[in-house]
Amino acid sequence: MHTRTRLTIAYFAMAAALLALFALNLFWGSVALSPAQVVAALLGRTPDALTANILYQLRLPRAVMVVLLGAALSAAGYLLQTFFANPIAGPFVMGISSGAKLAVALTMVVFLNRGLLTNSWTLILAAFAGAMAAMLFVLAVARRVQRMSILVICGVMIGYICSAVTDIVVAFAQDSNIVNLHNWSMGSFSGMTWGNVTTAAAIVLPCLAAAFLLSKPMAAYQMGESYAASVGVPVRVFSVVLVLLSSLLAACVTAFAGPISFVGIAVPHLVKQTLGSAKPLYVLPGCALGGAAFCLLCDLIARSLFAPTELSISSVTAVFGAPVVIWLLVCRHSGEGAA
Amino acid sequence: MSYCETQALAIGYGAPLLRDIALHAERGKILALIGPNGAGKSTLLKTLAAQLPTQGGAVLLDGQNLAAYTPNARARKLALMLPHTARTELTTCFDVAAAGRYPYTGRLGVLSAADKQQVRAALELVQAAPLADRDFTKISDGQRQRVLLARAVCQQPEILLLDEPTSFLDAKGKAELMAILQTLAHGKNVAIIVTLHELELAQKLADAVVCVAPSGVSGVLTPQEAFAEQNIRRLFDLTAEQYAMLFKNGDTKPKFEHYIRSGQKLLRCGYTTGTCAALGAAGAARLLLTGHVPESVGLRTPKGIVVEVAPQFCRPTADGAECAIVKDGGDDIDATTGLPVVAAVTLLPDAPRTVTIDGGAGVGRVTKPGLDQPVGAAAINHVPRQMITEALLREADAVGYGGGFAVTVSIKGGAAAAKRTFNPHIGVEGGLSVLGTSGIVEPMSQQALLDTLQIEIHQAALKSRRLILAPGNYGLDYLAAHMPELARIPVVKISNFVGEALDMVATEHFAEVLLVGHVGKLVKLAGGIMNTHSKQADCRTELFCAHAALCGADAATCRALMDAATTDACLEILDAANLREPVVASLLDAIQTHIDRRAAEAFRVGAVLFSNQAGPLGQTKTADTLLKTWKGA
Repeated sequence: MHTRTRLTIAYFAMAAALLALFALNLFWGSVALSPAQVVAALLGRTPDALTANILYQLRLPRAVMVVLLGAALSAAGYLLQTFFANPIAGPFVMGISSGAKLAVALTMVVFLNRGLLTNSWTLILAAFAGAMAAMLFVLAVARRVQRMSILVICGVMIGYICSAVTDIVVAFAQDSNIVNLHNWSMGSFSGMTWGNVTTAAAIVLPCLAAAFLLSKPMAAYQMGESYAASVGVPVRVFSVVLVLLSSLLAACVTAFAGPISFVGIAVPHLVKQTLGSAKPLYVLPGCALGGAAFCLLCDLIARSLFAPTELSISSVTAVFGAPVVIWLLVCRHSGEGAA
Repeated sequence: MSYCETQALAIGYGAPLLRDIALHAERGKILALIGPNGAGKSTLLKTLAAQLPTQGGAVLLDGQNLAAYTPNARARKLALMLPHTARTELTTCFDVAAAGRYPYTGRLGVLSAADKQQVRAALELVQAAPLADRDFTKISDGQRQRVLLARAVCQQPEILLLDEPTSFLDAKGKAELMAILQTLAHGKNVAIIVTLHELELAQKLADAVVCVAPSGVSGVLTPQEAFAEQNIRRLFDLTAEQYAMLFKNGDTKPKFEHYIRSGQKLLRCGYTTGTCAALGAAGAARLLLTGHVPESVGLRTPKGIVVEVAPQFCRPTADGAECAIVKDGGDDIDATTGLPVVAAVTLLPDAPRTVTIDGGAGVGRVTKPGLDQPVGAAAINHVPRQMITEALLREADAVGYGGGFAVTVSIKGGAAAAKRTFNPHIGVEGGLSVLGTSGIVEPMSQQALLDTLQIEIHQAALKSRRLILAPGNYGLDYLAAHMPELARIPVVKISNFVGEALDMVATEHFAEVLLVGHVGKLVKLAGGIMNTHSKQADCRTELFCAHAALCGADAATCRALMDAATTDACLEILDAANLREPVVASLLDAIQTHIDRRAAEAFRVGAVLFSNQAGPLGQTKTADTLLKTWKGA
């Protein structure tokens, strides 16, 4: 069948891109490694301790993390788009990432100023609280306005407010921590440890699985809330779960890598176009694959374009993602005019 | 038992908007919900679909309380189709229809081969099979609506609820959708409940109708009941003109335009069933005598007003011709408004200038004595009979025809409409009466009448301190025939509002007032009933009975009086018992007491009673004195 072949080809292409980019991320860097060196190190047969260190302690955890968080970010975006029935909804434009960022920044500054160390769980908890706060605000707005463009503008404004407050908070941080905090608040995948990876995996993987299991009611929900209710979707429970899952995924990303813009909108859209379907059952795995590949590409560019200087990951994702959003707005606008 | 029914259901958002809804839908039938926008049609539909909680009462689906169903079990029996649907991108029509398999698919919603077969069958049913691979956003509104219907069919529902399914459709789309709904109901035995704002469509589609108005929800009506002009006008609050503009075709048809002024308002008059019968007879006769179908027929009513209307139809029959005139009550809506009065005429060339009149279907028969016509005759009163005769003879004269006519008057739907009248009560059975003393119906809305009454009494007060009040045309006729010497005294027709009229008389400072009326109306005053409309109170025979008993009547006479159909019948019984004089005197005394009490010494008032059959009956004491002074002066 036509759609089946198309799906298979698309999945294979995305998986291949993911693998290739993953490999490139391991080779490429300020210290270029040859494929032979990498393979040798991975097989544990390298005489070179430095290569092994670079690979095991820096590049491998970072690449795995990029895969996890990229998948999480795109899935969060797709869940939000489904929930708001709005193709330009996403954790970044709705201000959810920024809410999480503010909460994380506050927590970090408070902890650091008292000389306490923050572990990843604390940060995730803080990020989740911030994400939920922003989300609740957006929901309150959504209850009052029906137009999606206004909703997005509100989200962007929340984002700005949160960023401004974050900047103020950062200004009060003690000097030694500023650089670190500043880097994080711009969005970056650098400095990931295996510990971080384990924690992120413990949150992201179950969330993705849960989202995938919701693909059936999600498909009904896409056809309208009333319709979903009429075929037996417990709409209230379902939407709460959807909000919680997307917030948790977005919060997890923010806690580790800071706010990353536009991945949540651009990837689901590109995946849908590639698959030629909007069915959650197909799109969700596609989002995970595509999001991971997309973030690997962006991280590669961020690390290597002006090496050894690292760009913030958001700068790169914005360059690729923002045009997609603009394109969507334009298409959607003409669609609204016709409807 | 009904597949879906409600028990004292109350619906609304948070608070009850409409209560006491009792409707039921059957499998294989289409039930239409009609009513003005905002009255609660959609709210009702959503409540029936369990999308809104009930505000009281219960909805039973297949014998079980709807609230007790699990969402999945409910979705296997009940499908809902809403007017607005999200248009998801990159979704084929097949995918959209397949969404209807939701209650049957597994955890992830993967379609089995059987599911796919169901989807294809559903698309086939709505004639959308060729659309299966098309993008749902890129098809026409009509096609989209059919695909949504296929989605509902995929749910294999036993009941299908649709909210305004035709809203965005063009003529073809509506026709297709209607055909599919009929296939579903009558072919697949699905119960269908559909809200529709297009009445023509609802009329053609519905097997049963429920009217949803802000004031309340009707029971389940037949389409005939629901789409009767008076029901539609009441439901949508339409004036006769608005209704005619919307639902009556042919603006070339002459319409009866005669208005009476009532305060600030103009009220449109109508014409009686008697006028309709006479017009129909004239139309049929003209077709027989000239061979041409008349475009319009006209006559001068006894009131002097000319009525000219186009027949609803005028056509030859096996032995003559028939012609239908639709009864138009003007702004006075009664049971007969909108019904076609059909006169079937045959020529009797061997009976020169005779007219025989009989009643057909929908026209009642007299079963009790004391009415205008003898027992066994068709309930066509003498004035309409005269009008019919005159109309036919005029047609005969116009072409020089010397023979006679036989007319049978029937009223389509008359038998059903008669149940809403007092006919069964007064001894006319099987249909309506053909009535009318003036040929014209003057609108009788209560306030309008009171306003008019006030003005007329005020005008009379400018001329005189003396006044005659007559309840209706009978009283006026009687005055003209029996008391010509009182012609100088102003007369006001007061309809049933005796009490109100007496109050107005007091405020206008009249000195002497005489009530002249038919015993059937004025006898009620003996019981202190000051609004003589039969809706308010009757008690005529009871009053006769009570006063007869006071005058010594035996039990058999009292029983006979109690059972009498009319006051004229009462008088006959009293005559037989030799009690008429004392009983009438006793009644007149009681009347005097009650009208004096109402007048409260502001003026002197008396009453004169007569009957159409027995002529003058008597007058109260004050009436006596008043008449003496008035005649003397």
